[in-house]
Amino acid sequence: MPEATTQADTQAKFRVEIRGSIEDVWQEITRTDAPIAAFFNSRMEVARLAPGSRLAMRTPDGKYTGVVGEILEYDPPRRFAHTFQFTQYDDPPCTVIYDLEEGANGVQFTLTIADMPVGTKTAKQMRQGGPMIVNTLKAVIETGRPSFGTRVLFGVFKLMAPMTPKKCLSENWPVDTPAATPVERNHP
Amino acid sequence: MIQKDPQDAIFSALAHPARRRIIDLLVRVPGASVKWIASNFKFSRIAAMKHLTVLERAGLVLSEKHGRTRKLFFNPVPIQQIYDRWTSDYSSFWAGRMADIQSRVETRAAREEKKNA
Repeated sequence: MPEATTQADTQAKFRVEIRGSIEDVWQEITRTDAPIAAFFNSRMEVARLAPGSRLAMRTPDGKYTGVVGEILEYDPPRRFAHTFQFTQYDDPPCTVIYDLEEGANGVQFTLTIADMPVGTKTAKQMRQGGPMIVNTLKAVIETGRPSFGTRVLFGVFKLMAPMTPKKCLSENWPVDTPAATPVERNHP
Repeated sequence: MIQKDPQDAIFSALAHPARRRIIDLLVRVPGASVKWIASNFKFSRIAAMKHLTVLERAGLVLSEKHGRTRKLFFNPVPIQQIYDRWTSDYSSFWAGRMADIQSRVETRAAREEKKNA
């Protein structure tokens, strides 16, 4: 199959139009003061909101950490990018890029997932999670809260928290010290 | 008068078999070029581009410029929105089920706590 085996087959894109201001959308995806509904209700913790800083996505109570990474770009209110690694799997990190663009009907929001390790659990989860991330962000900005189904899902997460593996405990994933497993920066 | 449904563009884009086939190809090969997509069809590249324009307008295909070529991606979000349009009413059913599970889990936890006390 010609041109089939490009770098791009490790990429996925998700786009949605959001009726709202670009500043509100930016604030929602970079907030550290409250859980971010669009990011599966994770509370984002960073050393600094700047490139090079470590980042962690923790449960609302802070006990568990599902995702860690390093900020690659922080360019308000246009682009936020960071590496992304599930604490639960031993897969290499991928890259997530959030692009915001002002359009005729509001904000054009694009989530790009790059450098996905082929055939891994990470790749599967990222592809499945994309539509929920962008649609929840749209719902939060346009209606003030996630859809009913998404809120039910957050309830399920809370119920399942005791089943989280010990390695995901937040004490294993600080953001203010160098990570135990260094995150590769192979994205331009 | 019937109001124009914002999802009309999605349904009419999906109504053509060639356009559904293009989506199939993009699911398999994210980031494919226009040339490669066209090479999978008997019709001309111009016709392929017309189909791609329809898909792009509906938000089902995203096109990214890389120098002189374009990389094409399937955007599954509009499909998810169609799904949500008719299924979210049934979410209340699930909410009920989840509440059931919660109370069962909590009752069991309380019972075990009593046993261990």
